[in-house]
Amino acid sequence: MTSFKFGTLSIGAAALLAGVLGASIATKAGDEIKNATKFGNMNSVTQDLLNRAGGDGNNFLLTNGDYTQSRYFPNKQINVSNVSKLRPAWVFQTEVKDSMETSPIVVNGIMYVTTSFDHVYALDARTGEELWHYKQKLGPITTYCCGPNNRGVAVYEDMVYLATLDAKLVALDAKTGKQVWETQVADPELGYSETMAPTAVKGKILVGTNGGEYGIRGFVKAFDAKTGKNLWTFNTVPESSVGVWATNDATGRDMHRDIAAEKAALAKNGDPYKTLGGGVWQNPAVDLDTNRIYFVVGNPSPDLDGSLRPGDNLYTDSLVSVDLDTGKYVCHFQYIAHDVWDMDAVSPPAIVKVADKDGKMIKGVIHGGKTGHIYVHDAKDCSLIRFSEAMVPQENMWVLPTKDGARMLPGANGGVEWSPLATNPSLGLAYAINLHQPMTYHVESSAYPAGKLWLGGAFKIIPTEEQWGNVTAVDYNTGKIKWQVKTQQPMIGGILATAGGLVFTGESNGQFEAFDAETGAALWKFQAGAGVNAPPSSYSVDGKQYVVVAAGGNAQVDSKRGNSIIAFTAD
Amino acid sequence: MRLVLIAFVAMVASSISHVAVAQSIEEKAAVCAGCHGENGKPVSPEIPVLWGQKEGYIYLQLRDLKRGDRKHEIMSGIAAGLEKTDMQELAKYFSEKPWINLQQKSADAPTASQAQQVASSAQCEGCHLSGYLGDSTIPRLAGQSETYLLKTMSEFRSGARANNAWMVTLLKSYSDSDIAALSKYIAGL
Repeated sequence: MTSFKFGTLSIGAAALLAGVLGASIATKAGDEIKNATKFGNMNSVTQDLLNRAGGDGNNFLLTNGDYTQSRYFPNKQINVSNVSKLRPAWVFQTEVKDSMETSPIVVNGIMYVTTSFDHVYALDARTGEELWHYKQKLGPITTYCCGPNNRGVAVYEDMVYLATLDAKLVALDAKTGKQVWETQVADPELGYSETMAPTAVKGKILVGTNGGEYGIRGFVKAFDAKTGKNLWTFNTVPESSVGVWATNDATGRDMHRDIAAEKAALAKNGDPYKTLGGGVWQNPAVDLDTNRIYFVVGNPSPDLDGSLRPGDNLYTDSLVSVDLDTGKYVCHFQYIAHDVWDMDAVSPPAIVKVADKDGKMIKGVIHGGKTGHIYVHDAKDCSLIRFSEAMVPQENMWVLPTKDGARMLPGANGGVEWSPLATNPSLGLAYAINLHQPMTYHVESSAYPAGKLWLGGAFKIIPTEEQWGNVTAVDYNTGKIKWQVKTQQPMIGGILATAGGLVFTGESNGQFEAFDAETGAALWKFQAGAGVNAPPSSYSVDGKQYVVVAAGGNAQVDSKRGNSIIAFTAD
Repeated sequence: MRLVLIAFVAMVASSISHVAVAQSIEEKAAVCAGCHGENGKPVSPEIPVLWGQKEGYIYLQLRDLKRGDRKHEIMSGIAAGLEKTDMQELAKYFSEKPWINLQQKSADAPTASQAQQVASSAQCEGCHLSGYLGDSTIPRLAGQSETYLLKTMSEFRSGARANNAWMVTLLKSYSDSDIAALSKYIAGL
């Protein structure tokens, strides 16, 4: 139980503590004392705490709940019988009114949230009162395809870590918000940028990169948590990216590749690995037993034009596992070889116990695809065990893009976009939020533009067709859809399951909702006033459970912008 | 008017590229005022507002003009004489100036409606952001000169402006009427 009591520090002790902390960003000494005392006896975020995050009913220490990325919060104080009483405990408004994708992180009653353009706030998780505010001074060049987003921080020992739009990794003092170090991860002028929350594990800070729309060469990098020194880099595109000339996708459907033309292009132009894309948008799952991480790799560059990039384009559109200590390749599984639809792998994978093909329970990895399938893998070798029923309509797959546009469903945002899944291990269910956005796929070849947007064509929403979304519960041991709730608008953001038998998620129209985890019955909703397009978190402080979510809208689906962090309680 | 401008600018550009003595940013920027306006209001509606434009965007345009990725009868010559640090300084200088309100009229309701439908289909605000205010390497469009917006979109569509393949592809699928509506609507924001 992590409790904090005002007044447990004397003024003298508080002043001493403030002095030890050094100068806070607050300029007045009085403010420093005030801020310092609010932190009370703040615990350092130890590796042991992080290892046990999945069973921690007080803190929310990792972006997706724990290292397995279960998004299953173990506290059941808020549950199916009292969720109808849920009401806002506090609202905090940030300085930035734009797209919010942050996953609030909570450490002993202190919450860390981020906004578009890389602001970080530390808040009192009981009251929403601001403790400090950090604004990253962004360089003149930031390159991002899908909004000036940031998806949150990582916490480790006494530091808070932020990855920025101008492709830097920044370490902040958790108590003061002062920058401790920053390091350049990659060159933003070449299309690299960061929107993901980093992952902190065993003295390392892990980050991927955006840039699959700009002809980057993707990676996952590990940095020393104390110094920012680069420890290893795994290039998501190997120098030999050709692969096995796969003609079918993971589900066995023909992708209509012209292998002869690709081989001729390969002979003429060589391997396209240097500008082949392969961003990693979201956090890896960490298997502490085997010391491996699992992440998914995004689309090849240019998105729609395969003529410039012959071969399977390894390891784009793949689940990949590497060794945590060295970054060395362990295994991969490619969902779509030579993708020309941007139907890539973005939603972070989760490690779960699953039934293999013989019904034996093994360690598995699940991923929600833009295709609308949840893919279930054997963690040992990344091989595919099964894929779920499609959660959204699929039509004309895999029709090739044309100059005038070919209609195919799903649209290029999915299915499941970057939104993380949630799971309920006792029910064996994975919860996904989906988009249905009919689009036409257009191809038009253009040369590598040295860091500019490079789609090789265009995706266009068909304005005359209806768009909608859904919340879907999938039994990952069978691949069957257990329940599904259709929503008014395409869904992007995230979802959280709790031991209280609940699933929380938000919609672009501002509704934040709770569903019964077993049946999908709508149990509660709240109108947040702006698009709720961010993953919820939950935490407890002073014995009271809260659910918290950002309502700031979203650039990608152009939902109404706002700037609120809203925490709810059931008392 | 145009010939006079070309002659004037060519003369000053020549002076930039051949004088190696240290110049202040104001001196470097002086040549720009000849077209883009001493007080930020361009001398012709075909010339874009530069004051308050995004730093990364200005830098990339100068870079592309120097590289030849973007071609312009006046600006190519000017950019040819600039070093990377000049471009960075100029970009910073102009981005820090206040945006100039050209007092353009808001689009009428049918034009605005047509423009909004096109913008929704093309997901314009996904990059240019809410209110078309831009950020970093993505230019502000709101309140930009209508004539310049129309000219630019037309040049993207024809491929005459080739330093952004995405804009070329995107604009090719929209009609003259769509582009005219977008220009009027965005200029009037």
